[in-house]
Amino acid sequence: MDSGGLSFSNLTTKFETTMLRPTPEKTKTPSVPFKYRLVKAIDVAGLNFLTPVVRLCFGEEPRKQLKDIGLYIVIPILAMIFGVCGWFVVSEMVVTKSGKLPNPSETLAAAGSIWDFHVRENDKLSAFELTGAQRDARMAAVESRLKELEPLEEEINKEVTEEGKRAEERTQQRTAALEKKYDEVKKELDSAAEEREKALKAKSESIDKSDVDAKKAYIADVRKHRKALDVAKERLRDLKGRIKTLKDLKDDKLAAVLRKQTQIAEERQYLGKMKDQLTKTNRDLKVAGAKKKLDADLAAFYDAEPSKMYLAASKFVKGESRIEKLKSSEYAKPSTLPFQIKRSLLCVFVGFFIGTAIAIPLGIMCGLSKTVMAAMTPIVALFKPVSPIVWLPVCLIICSAMIPDPDKHFFTQWMWNLPILGKYQINPAFLASACTVALCSLWATMTNTALGVASVDEDHINVARVLRLGFWDRLFKIVLPSALPLVFAGLRISLGVGWMVLIAAELLSSSEGIGKYVWDQFNNGGSRSFANMVVVVFVVGIIGLILDRMMVVFQRLVSFDESPTAV
Amino acid sequence: MAFIKLKDVCFGFGPISNRYEVFENANLSVEENEFVAIIGFSGAGKSTLISLLAGLQKPDTGMVMMDGRPIEEPGPDKGIMFQNYSLLPWLSVAGNIELAVKQVFTEMQPNERRDYVQNYIDLVSLTGSEYKKPHELSGGMRQRLSLARTLAMKPEVLLLDEPLSALDALTRAVLQDEIIRIWEEDRRTVVMITNDVDEAVLMADRIVPLTPGPAASFGKSFPVTLERPRNRATLNFNPEFKKLRNEVTRYMLQINDEAKALSPAEDLSLPNLEPRMPGELPVKSPV
Repeated sequence: MDSGGLSFSNLTTKFETTMLRPTPEKTKTPSVPFKYRLVKAIDVAGLNFLTPVVRLCFGEEPRKQLKDIGLYIVIPILAMIFGVCGWFVVSEMVVTKSGKLPNPSETLAAAGSIWDFHVRENDKLSAFELTGAQRDARMAAVESRLKELEPLEEEINKEVTEEGKRAEERTQQRTAALEKKYDEVKKELDSAAEEREKALKAKSESIDKSDVDAKKAYIADVRKHRKALDVAKERLRDLKGRIKTLKDLKDDKLAAVLRKQTQIAEERQYLGKMKDQLTKTNRDLKVAGAKKKLDADLAAFYDAEPSKMYLAASKFVKGESRIEKLKSSEYAKPSTLPFQIKRSLLCVFVGFFIGTAIAIPLGIMCGLSKTVMAAMTPIVALFKPVSPIVWLPVCLIICSAMIPDPDKHFFTQWMWNLPILGKYQINPAFLASACTVALCSLWATMTNTALGVASVDEDHINVARVLRLGFWDRLFKIVLPSALPLVFAGLRISLGVGWMVLIAAELLSSSEGIGKYVWDQFNNGGSRSFANMVVVVFVVGIIGLILDRMMVVFQRLVSFDESPTAV
Repeated sequence: MAFIKLKDVCFGFGPISNRYEVFENANLSVEENEFVAIIGFSGAGKSTLISLLAGLQKPDTGMVMMDGRPIEEPGPDKGIMFQNYSLLPWLSVAGNIELAVKQVFTEMQPNERRDYVQNYIDLVSLTGSEYKKPHELSGGMRQRLSLARTLAMKPEVLLLDEPLSALDALTRAVLQDEIIRIWEEDRRTVVMITNDVDEAVLMADRIVPLTPGPAASFGKSFPVTLERPRNRATLNFNPEFKKLRNEVTRYMLQINDEAKALSPAEDLSLPNLEPRMPGELPVKSPV
C-alpha cells in the first residue's frame, strides 16, 4: 500500500483495522457472555419458548420479555387447561359399552397404576434373586406391611358391603317413580286391550254370515286393535329402557370405595407374591434345598448296595443338573409398559437405520445422475403410497420364512445371548415391524437426499471444477455437506413417519411393544383398559415429540446457514 | 507472444430457434503479468467471458488460449474469484483455504500447510477470524477470504469477476488497495471484470471495453500509463487520470448509443393524450 505520509489510503488502512478487521483480542478469547451461549443453546435445542425467561432473568427489556412469556408460555398453558376442561366435559358425554371415556383424573390414575405394576414386577424380580440377610430384611418388611394391611382390608370390605346396600337403595329411589308409572301404564294398557278384545268378540256374534262388507269392516277393526297393542308394547319397552339406564347409572360413591378396595387387594396380592418370591420360589432357597437333597442322595449312593448303585448314582447326577438349571433360572417377568416402550424404541430405530441405509445411497445416486433418477422415479412413485398395513404381512411372511424357528435359529439365538439386546428377544415379528418401518419411512429421506444432492449451488460445483476435485472428493467435500441440511430434514420426517407406522405394525404383528400393549388392552376389556389406552395415546405422543426434537437438534447442528428450522 | 489469447471467439446460449449470441468474433490478448480491466455494461457478457477464460465453458467457435495452449478445462492454474464469493458455508475461513491448498499442493505436510494457510489469512487481513464460518463474516471479509483462497492456489492467471461490485464504497476502496498491494508484491497476469471506470483506471495497466450485447466483442483498448503506486487521494487531481477517465466514459457511452441505434427496437407510437379534470370539456387541440 502507499507508504506516502498522510494520504487517504493510510486513513483507510486505519479505518479497516478498526472497523473491518476484528481485533485479534476480541476473537481469540471467546468471552461470549453466558447469556448468549445459553440463548444459543436453547435455540439449537428448539426450545425457543424458554428464551424470554432467560432474557428476563438477565433483566433484558422486561416488558418485551413479559409479553413474549405471555404469548409463548402462558397462552399455551391456558390452552392446555382449556383442553383438559373440555376433556372432562366430553368424557361425561361419551358413554360406550366399555364404559365412559376416561377423564383426565382417571387417566392419571391409570398411568399411576401402570407405573405401580412396573415397579412391583421389578420388586418381584429382585426378590427372586435376593439372598441371605437382605432377603430376611425384605421378608420382614413385607410381613409387617401385610399385617398393616389386614385391618384396612377388613374395614374396606365392610365399607363396600354397606356402600353396596346404600347404592342399591339409591338406585331404587331413583327408579321407584318410574317403576310405579310403568306398573300403572301397564295395567291401564292391559285393561284397555282386554276391553277392546271383549268388544270385538261381542261384535262378531252380531255379524250376519253373508254380509261381506261387515266382515271386511271387522277385519279392519281387528287390525286396528293389533296396532294399538303394538303401540302399547312399544311404550312399555321405552319405559323399561329408561328404568334400565337409571339402574345402570354408575354410582360414584360405590365406585370410589370399590377402587380403594381393588387397590388394597392388589397390594395384598403383590405382597403375597413377594412372600412367595422371598421364600418358596426364591432362587437361592431353591438351590439350597436342592443341594441338601443332593447331599442326601450322595450319602444314599455311598450306602447303596451294588444292585441299587446304578439307580442311586443316576439320581445324584440328575440332582446335579437340576441345580445347574435352578442357578440359571430367572423370574418370568410379564412385560410392562416401560419395557414395551423400550422395545418399541429399539424397533423404530432398527427400522429407521435400515431405511436410512437404503435411502441415503439411493438418494445420492438419484441426485447425481439423471439416468438413475429417471429409473427410480416410477418405482418411488409406485411404492411410496403403499400403506404399512400392506407391507406388514409381506414382511412378516418373509421374516418368518427366513427364521422359521427362532428358538433354534443361529441369528435369533445369537441375538438373545447379547448382553443388552438379549432381553428384548428379537424375533421375526420384531424384524417384520422394523422392516415395515423402514419401507414406509425411507421415501422422505430418499427424495430429500436426491433433492439436496441435485440442487447443490452451481457456484460450489464451479469451485470443485476449478480445484479439479475427483468424484469422491467432490461427493464428500462439496455435494454431501451442502445437501446435509436437506438430508436431515428428510430424516426427521422419516423418523416421525416410522414412529407412527411402528405402533400399527406392532399391533398387527403382535410384536411385543406399545402397539401390542394397546391391542392387549383392547382385547382384555378390563375395567381399566380404556383408561390405559388413553394413557398410551399420551405416551406415544410424548415420545414422538421427543424424537422430533432430537432430530431438530441434529438438523440445526448440520445446517450451516442460520436459517431457522420449521418447528 | 500474448499470455492469454481469445481468437475469433463466438459463444451463445439456447437452441437455434431462439439463440442468444453473447460473443461474436471476440479477440483479446493479454500479456504476461499484465493487469487488464474489462469494462462493460450489465448484460454484455462479462461473467461469460470469465467462465470462458477459466475454462468453465467452452467457446462455440474460435480459441481461448493460455500460454500458447488452448484452455481445455478449469484448473487451479486459472484462479477465479467469483462475483458472489462461492465460499463453502460449512467450512471455516481456514477450512475454505485449506481445501484448495490440500488439493493443489498434495505433497505439503500438515503443519507446513497450516503455516501456509495462516500466511494467506494474514495476507488478506483476516487474522483472528480463522475459525469463523462465512455467514459470520461481513461482505468485505468474505471477498477477502475468496481472494485468499484464490491466491493460495498460486494461479498463473487471476480472473476477478466483478470482485468488488457487491461491496459498499468504503470497503471497496479498502479492497482495491489491498488487491493492488498483493499484486505488486507478487505480480502475475490479472483479468478483472468491472463496471466502474474509476476502479479500472486506478487498478489496471490497460482497460478493454466490452461492446454492449448481444454479439459483444472488444472495443479499442486504453493503456493506463499512470505511474504506480497510484495514490487514490491525489489521483483525483491528476490531469492524465481525469482525461483517461473521461475518454473511457465517453467511449462507453458512445458505443452504447451506437448499439441502441443498431438494435431493431420497434418504435411504438403512442396516442397523443392529455389529462383533464373530471367534468371538464375536451379542449380542441389546435390543428
